[in-house]
Amino acid sequence: MSKQPTGAQEFIHVPCPFCGLLCDDLRIAVSERAATVVANGCTKSRRLFNASSRADATPLANGKPVALEVAAKKAAAILREARQPVLISAGTDVAGMRALLELAERTGGIVDHNSGDAMMRNLLVLQDSGWISTTLTEVRNRADLLVVAGTDISSRFPRFYERIFGEFESLFITGERDLCFLGAMPQDLPAPLKARATAVAVEPERLGEVFGVLRSLLAGKTLNAKAVAGIAMPELAALLARMQTARYGVLTWTAADLAFPNAELAIRSMCELVTALNASGRFAVLPLGGTDGDLTAAQVTTWQTGFPLRVSFAGGKPAYDPWQHSARRLLERHEADAVVFVSALDAAHSPPESEAPAIVLGRPGTNPGDASVFIPVATPGLHHAGHLFRADNVVAIGVRKLTESAMPSAGQALQMILGATENPL
Amino acid sequence: MIRLGGGRVYDPANGIDGEVRDLFVHAGRIVAAPAPGTRFDREIDLAGRMVMAGAIDVHTHIGGGKVNIARAMLPEDHRDSAFARTDITRSGSGHAAPSTFATGYRYAEMGYTACFEPAILPVNARQAHMEMGDTPIVDKGGYALLGNDDFLLRLLAAGADQSLVNDYVAWTLHATQCIGIKIVNPGGISAFKFNARKLDVDEPHPHYRVTPRAILGALTRALHDLAVPFPLHVHASNLGVPGNVDTTLATMDAAGGLPIHLTHIQFHSYGTEGERKFSSAAARIADAINRHKNVSADVGQIMFGQTVTASGDTMAQFRNSRHAHPAKWVCMDIECDAGCGVVPFRYRDSAFVNALQWAIGLELFLRVQDPWRLFLTTDHPNGAPFTSYPHLIRLLMDRDFRNRKLAEIHPEAAAHSELAGLGREYSLYEIAIMTRAAPARSLGLTDRGHLGVGAAADIIVYEDLPDLEQMFAAPEYVFKDGELVAQRGRIVKTSRGATHVVRPDFDRGIEKPLRDFFERFHTIGFDNFAISADELAECGSRETLVHPCPRNGR
Repeated sequence: MSKQPTGAQEFIHVPCPFCGLLCDDLRIAVSERAATVVANGCTKSRRLFNASSRADATPLANGKPVALEVAAKKAAAILREARQPVLISAGTDVAGMRALLELAERTGGIVDHNSGDAMMRNLLVLQDSGWISTTLTEVRNRADLLVVAGTDISSRFPRFYERIFGEFESLFITGERDLCFLGAMPQDLPAPLKARATAVAVEPERLGEVFGVLRSLLAGKTLNAKAVAGIAMPELAALLARMQTARYGVLTWTAADLAFPNAELAIRSMCELVTALNASGRFAVLPLGGTDGDLTAAQVTTWQTGFPLRVSFAGGKPAYDPWQHSARRLLERHEADAVVFVSALDAAHSPPESEAPAIVLGRPGTNPGDASVFIPVATPGLHHAGHLFRADNVVAIGVRKLTESAMPSAGQALQMILGATENPL
Repeated sequence: MIRLGGGRVYDPANGIDGEVRDLFVHAGRIVAAPAPGTRFDREIDLAGRMVMAGAIDVHTHIGGGKVNIARAMLPEDHRDSAFARTDITRSGSGHAAPSTFATGYRYAEMGYTACFEPAILPVNARQAHMEMGDTPIVDKGGYALLGNDDFLLRLLAAGADQSLVNDYVAWTLHATQCIGIKIVNPGGISAFKFNARKLDVDEPHPHYRVTPRAILGALTRALHDLAVPFPLHVHASNLGVPGNVDTTLATMDAAGGLPIHLTHIQFHSYGTEGERKFSSAAARIADAINRHKNVSADVGQIMFGQTVTASGDTMAQFRNSRHAHPAKWVCMDIECDAGCGVVPFRYRDSAFVNALQWAIGLELFLRVQDPWRLFLTTDHPNGAPFTSYPHLIRLLMDRDFRNRKLAEIHPEAAAHSELAGLGREYSLYEIAIMTRAAPARSLGLTDRGHLGVGAAADIIVYEDLPDLEQMFAAPEYVFKDGELVAQRGRIVKTSRGATHVVRPDFDRGIEKPLRDFFERFHTIGFDNFAISADELAECGSRETLVHPCPRNGR
């Protein structure tokens, strides 16, 4: 950190909380409570760091400005009245999740993440069969083949090819890296990768079939088909051969992009092929996540309750149900009568449509809809320090405080509501 | 001030074996007898009760990525054991992979007051400390995993001076806020990433060409040179492989006479005799431990039933994945740092191999003569959940009970074991050594594991019950830092635990090559890697207890 003559303070090696990569090499200037990404930014970090902080945003109750304490009491009153609250993270840190879980436990609530549907696609596979997986630094130094299934990585993780899989010095890669897309070829690949990358056109819905066939071929089975999912058999055989000859191949996807019914079966099929490839060589999966605090939510919920998400405290004990405890489903079917929605990272998220009274803890700029209570909260990594889990679900990064804010953190606001729940007067 | 009067005290660190003593507690510490006429805030008559220091688990997987994978993977482990919050405790669940709150409460209820997570991947240390921060009451500490990380392997491959290794080890202890160093399958986790499926002690690593023996030698030397009290904590090569007894003996030898701790030796004491090519080599291992005074060990006893194995040893876990029960498992290569493997497992007394594993563990307990060098563990949850400790203690203390259990296992396994001929019964004094005094001494915790004046008032009071399992499962009183936290298996007060660490001196010059390595190869910046003391507090630690490295001089 260095003071600049202009009054702007510049921070280096700054972690960015706004996508699952949690890049931590940003250079950010801060003056008058406005942050500007000076170096190593991306579209997402520039949008979300540079957004006006509006650190003076005011809590609202029924649309009218109120003091924070009043907003917290009003929220507590709603939760005390509620018979079945749901509590949704759409982006908060470890401290925020700790408080969210305690509030859910006290109020008999159900905990989910805004990306719960996508997360369950991977979690169901973990709970059904598991996988052989890898992490970002391994990919950076070891992966000589990356197979990308049904995902356009860079729209969600803008610096992936710059930092994780690309043409740069590594520990073990001696030749060129091989890249294969199952789906459309992205437009924005960096030049050296683009020259070698290939794409196999396939609809995401048919990935399960494709991987099932690859696994059959690997097992030496002969198939009486000329093509599967529109891919000719020789092309499938060539794809498998490419995967078998990789020294360290990696298969990646973003569950949010596999948005079709029973996508977990396709993901399981992908994981099973990778496991089978390890009978003779090395291959690993990299289920990419981490954006909007989704993996953070799952990690904290797992260690505190034993279950990864969609945990209900309605019966006192934590109870897990990947289908029944979907927050969206509960709200759509009017099975919940209050909602707590926490979105401290990205003001673009808003609570699901519902008739239930909503308590929204959002970054300023969040559209609170007709929320009964809106509490503007500070952003971890900008206004306060905190911890978030990275795309590979292994690395937790400590994000930093860059500037002051009068707003509470989500964790603090939830603790206030919790306190008001216990002490109504 | 509290007076705990008239209990039979078992305090091996102070040579007290069942003598009737009064203990006095003030401000969280054990203090000398006060002047006559002193008024006590509380007096408890402990006539007929047994008193020990708080128990210490030197090897229990309670926090970090692989434990959380095990939890997430196994909702079936949690459904039937879920419990609600009370006015003072949080909710939770879990048997083999309990939630953090469940872990803290169950340990405290059993009279354990400190737990050491033995496999903290440096890159995953934040998560481990956050989970331990949410593990109430007990104090925690961790061992940072080295020996499969590319930075160290590059140093060794380049023939770097031992002083650089020492500085790197010390830097790692600081950066990860740990109290010791562990090595898992030396070089083998890394070799698995290069598609090797085994790596013997004298076999060169497929890429770096260094041998596990050389890695072990460098790390045992480093801890010795840095005067870190706790010796290198070694999960040896070839875990679970029939015939691995030779590997284990070679691993002891690789320490070159310097202190070394071999963990979960039960999994490393297998021969290849008999029709099934699987036999007990407990006698050879125990004999070697008895002869080598530089070696300590913990057992990693297995118990029959469902559990989950969580290990850094991807090479072994991949090999074992065919035994997964239920049939699901995870292996993970991690960050040019290490790896992890999570494989659910059900040990059955009717299965020959499992039954013999059970007998081998008990044989080791009974054949190793010096309880100061053998600690009681099940390698939670890998051999069994830690909640089986009271049952294990009964097996050690009660020969008739042990032989009744022996009669229930696979008859051929029983016949292949010499367990029936081992008549030893552990005394309360020996149990107090292996669960309190010895772990504290090994870890360098001078004010834990004993009941002398100045010690932390972690005090456990047992009723004298005929059923030892019942006695150890739910002590009558558990005091943590002088506060009554549990009574007859029920939590009565909760608190946050402290974190035990060491911070040996080192030359900061090592940060230059480390920064270079991070900048060229890593996906985290050097400046964002280390965990500060302030950050440790944010993780949930009550306070950091820094233990001296007494001979620390360069």
